[in-house]
Amino acid sequence: MGKSIKRKIRLAALHLFYICVCLLGLVPILYILLLSFSGGSGALTTGTSILPERFTLENYRRILVEEPFLRWLFNSVILSVGTMIIAMGTSVTTSYAFSRFRFRGRNAAMQLLLLLNAFPQILSMFAIFRLFRLLNLLDSHGGLIFIYAGSMCIFGIWNMKGYFDSVPIEIEEASKIDGAGNMQLIVKIILPLARPAIIVTAVMILIFVWNEYLFATTFMMREESYTLAGGLYQLQANDYSRSWPLFSAAAMLVSVPILIVFFCVQKYMVSGLTAGGVKQ
Amino acid sequence: MLPWLYSFPAYVLIGVIVLFPILYTGYISLTNMNLYHWQDYGFAGVENYVRALGKIDSGFLSALWTTIVWTAVNMLFDVAVSYVLAVGLNTEGMRAKRVYKTLLIFPWAMPAYVSILVWRVGMFNTEFGLLNKLLVALGGSKTDFLSRNVPAFLSCMVLNLWMSLPYMITMFDGALQSVDRSMYESAEMEGANVWQKNLYITIPSLKKMMAPVVVMTTFTTFKQFDIVYLLTMQKGSVSGSTMQTIITYAHQNAFVSNNYGLSSAVSIVIFAIIIVFSVWTNRKTTEA
Repeated sequence: MGKSIKRKIRLAALHLFYICVCLLGLVPILYILLLSFSGGSGALTTGTSILPERFTLENYRRILVEEPFLRWLFNSVILSVGTMIIAMGTSVTTSYAFSRFRFRGRNAAMQLLLLLNAFPQILSMFAIFRLFRLLNLLDSHGGLIFIYAGSMCIFGIWNMKGYFDSVPIEIEEASKIDGAGNMQLIVKIILPLARPAIIVTAVMILIFVWNEYLFATTFMMREESYTLAGGLYQLQANDYSRSWPLFSAAAMLVSVPILIVFFCVQKYMVSGLTAGGVKQ
Repeated sequence: MLPWLYSFPAYVLIGVIVLFPILYTGYISLTNMNLYHWQDYGFAGVENYVRALGKIDSGFLSALWTTIVWTAVNMLFDVAVSYVLAVGLNTEGMRAKRVYKTLLIFPWAMPAYVSILVWRVGMFNTEFGLLNKLLVALGGSKTDFLSRNVPAFLSCMVLNLWMSLPYMITMFDGALQSVDRSMYESAEMEGANVWQKNLYITIPSLKKMMAPVVVMTTFTTFKQFDIVYLLTMQKGSVSGSTMQTIITYAHQNAFVSNNYGLSSAVSIVIFAIIIVFSVWTNRKTTEA
């Protein structure tokens, strides 16, 4: 009996510990959530209280109506979808080629891609900037989409190659005997089989673009072409319109869709990261 | 021919967006390009490299040192804390494990830049920051954590841990599921205590599986830019700390002080460091 009581106390202590850790970890998010419901920008500055004096949805209304939030949302959607289409379109066929064909230069090409991926894109930002200035691609959605698609393409190739490798080749051979052409093979057999991998990769590309702020703020100079990330960055950077409750409401609005998507694909992300191609 | 045909569009895209800018950066690193020599820059040879690596006051070497310390300290805490938390979660009889895991994962799910800005406003800010409110409530005075180097370094570190621990915990937790439970039973029969079980069973079993994860996170930590940049050196609201990692150093020289040649040279040096380091870790992990 003594032993089981001792064990129960230990478990209770452990629970208490984890409750504290979780709360501590959530404090910044909860605080911003509270802040976003607080009325007036001065309400929280003076007192030491954490709870706002009154709860209001005013900040959410202001961010949606008075700030060009919907415009930013629209830009983010355009960029995400555009990047996804280009990156997936180029990387699906490439990862298929790497997975199914044994050709000269295959290994070298794959290693080169890994090497290129190791180069942090921030470091070549200036070179891209100069190049885009020359090509007149600054301040355009198309230009930014190409930048994102370029780096995400390598990620997609490596990520999906791992999944293609695990699809048995016999299925393809059988359909080839049945007279399926190459294009038909890809569209009708390969893509449906690799659907989970394709969905996860596409979602990760979406999340990447949604969360990118540095290129979005460097390459987009007009307020109407900002993405959500750029807009949020401006909200907190601009001295004149600085209002933390407003910023908090915007931060919440930007994060919630990502939180939902993240928790939907979380299971696959973990297995994708460990079993897939990111591993070298 | 077919495989090359399939991958041709990808190669064009990567060639223009990734490969060419890297080569171009290498080219710029050999010139004296700056704001005054935007078009009519001249060839400067290895002068930029000499300046970055040879002159102490160029700031690169101290940034490199900061980055190494930053990576080491962060990784140490990251691995140790997440190990303890993951092992604790897997204690026999822990019922609410899934609830804790879901709650702990939130910082990972938040968009990184939002988290950083949220911490800047909600935690470190002198007027709204929770930390300052706490300080004042405890009778202290308001402190600007980001205005001096050491507090800024620690602030960035806490934030980095907050953001990266969930990923590590998840990975450790996943790896722990594959540890053979029967080993603990026989160890218990022989009277092993908690320390011995961790030291001789858990840690050795996890090593191989966690190595790639730890290596990957080390790279991410080494390349960390957003935290330092957004917390302390945003355009127009520089916080006062002069802490620089090598990536922020390269970025600042390109986009703030317009020393494009120097910045490019630094970028190439960083690339070389990353390549050497990844070749070395690759060899290490395949040896093991």
